[in-house]
Amino acid sequence: MKRVGIVGIGTTQFRSRWIEKTYFELAFDAVKMALEDAGITKDRIDCVVYGIYNDFFERQFQPDLFVHDYIGMAPKPGIRVSTGGATGGSAISAGYAQVASGLYDICLVVGVEKSADCFDYETGKSSPEVLKAISYTADMTYEQPTGRTAAGSFALTTIAHLEKYGNPTELQMAKVSVKNHNNAILNPVAQSPIALTVDDVMNSPLIAYPFKRYDNCLYSEGAAALILASENIAKTFKKPPVWIKGIGAALDWAVIGNRKDLYSFESSRIAAKKAYNMAGIKEPVKEIDLAELHDAFTGTELIAYEDCFFCNEGEGGRLIDEGIVERDGKLPVNVSGGLIGCGHAVGATGIMQTNEIVLHLRDEAGKRQIKNAKTGLVQSIGGPGAAWTVCIVLGRD
Amino acid sequence: MDRLYSTWKGLAKTMDKQTFLRWASRNAKRIGVKKEQVIKAFEKGMTGQASMDAPFEIPDTMRVNMRYSYGGQSRFFREILENKRLMGTRCNKCGKVFCPPRSHCPHCYEQTEWVELKGTGRLLSYTTVYFATSSYIKQVPYIVAYIKLDDADTAILANVEMKDIKKARVGMKVKVMFRRQRDGRITDIYFKEI
Repeated sequence: MKRVGIVGIGTTQFRSRWIEKTYFELAFDAVKMALEDAGITKDRIDCVVYGIYNDFFERQFQPDLFVHDYIGMAPKPGIRVSTGGATGGSAISAGYAQVASGLYDICLVVGVEKSADCFDYETGKSSPEVLKAISYTADMTYEQPTGRTAAGSFALTTIAHLEKYGNPTELQMAKVSVKNHNNAILNPVAQSPIALTVDDVMNSPLIAYPFKRYDNCLYSEGAAALILASENIAKTFKKPPVWIKGIGAALDWAVIGNRKDLYSFESSRIAAKKAYNMAGIKEPVKEIDLAELHDAFTGTELIAYEDCFFCNEGEGGRLIDEGIVERDGKLPVNVSGGLIGCGHAVGATGIMQTNEIVLHLRDEAGKRQIKNAKTGLVQSIGGPGAAWTVCIVLGRD
Repeated sequence: MDRLYSTWKGLAKTMDKQTFLRWASRNAKRIGVKKEQVIKAFEKGMTGQASMDAPFEIPDTMRVNMRYSYGGQSRFFREILENKRLMGTRCNKCGKVFCPPRSHCPHCYEQTEWVELKGTGRLLSYTTVYFATSSYIKQVPYIVAYIKLDDADTAILANVEMKDIKKARVGMKVKVMFRRQRDGRITDIYFKEI
């Protein structure tokens, strides 16, 4: 297998709504940035992988077809990946395989999502209709009709974890929200850069117990692209490559009642283990300089600390209490702001988070730069109760 | 209606008031919502934009009507609908009991057989939904829980109804209830504390 390097990146602004752009125009912007960053023209691209989650969001089934057309990639090969919230990570994983196998030398990975075109006429708001479009991802025969929302699906795990270990507490979850909103302040593409207090979070209205409004990520619109190149040419681009050192993926029982336990995400534990094995990581906290985890909800980030083996099971809350995951801590998590602070443009999210790590490993992250960052971790999760997880370990020479 | 359009004159660039109202009415019918809702959502965009280059939105919908077959799962829904009976399936080889039912065991790849369940169990986990999709937003707050039935090996997601929703807790004992009006959907059943 060939080594694969990331040689170009581009991320658009994440916003609550990009009314002035369609999904294919947003994708175009990210691709143009990534090509310029790599110092190549579109003609050099051998194949494309598209990360787009929800066909209702784009108001188009197989929206990849029309991105491919719009960005002028015809007649190159292109495939679309859709794994819920993990779509971005899965798209990178699929792109990695295309290049590592030797099938192609240069692969463009582009993720895009619009969501706020979904609109509930009765309440005059987008959110309830966005949630409806998402709800069709739940099992339609037995689960979706109960009215369980995406937040509900992750709340069920969080409550089970709370029952078993006595945490995450609401205070610990609030601290994660404050951290990620604050981190977003230094990120120019972030949707929600706000200086919150723990009280602001604790006093925000309940969405799905125990999650409150500020425990939730935001629906965003945005696009992110990156360019993967094979080992033999990776050093011929404008900037030094950031290597994909390990990838791990898993898809757990999607009907959650079939799982052994409800209090952790087995798919995340397996994906992290596989990625670490491949990258040769034995002590994650010592060897990883920064991580971008899938903080769809604050409780999810706290459980992810455990699932990524930053601590033992049941100790996730300690990492936020001790400040280990803060920007100046031993292992900063979601310096970009994550899904809570930067935003969740589903198909683009995992790619945005990967691009964030690339910036740090290139020493290009400006004011939010984590000093001497050499190794980073990206975790993408998606589907009911994190059925899908993809973990990617990135490193520089 | 006229009050809404007090600022209309001089602002309308793409449509005059009458054209806009006719447009709203036609589109409301096309996508299956009320005319007033389309007017409310679009009047600003149609009247306040100064430039032909400003973003232009239209009301729209994506909807497909279906007749969904429960296939090999059919008996589960028919027993609830007609007999108020909760069924599971048991693997002929490993003996695992599934609820929700499966026609095949995902472990042994063997056919399963139908078994009647007592309908009692306990909460493995729960959440209370306070903000829901547009289909459920009028019903909040409501409880959704994973229930491990006493005589099944898997858990089923269901609504739990109780007077004080704040009293839900993991481990709570519940029993299945059948709604008076049943439609053949999973929501024909819910659970109640015992």
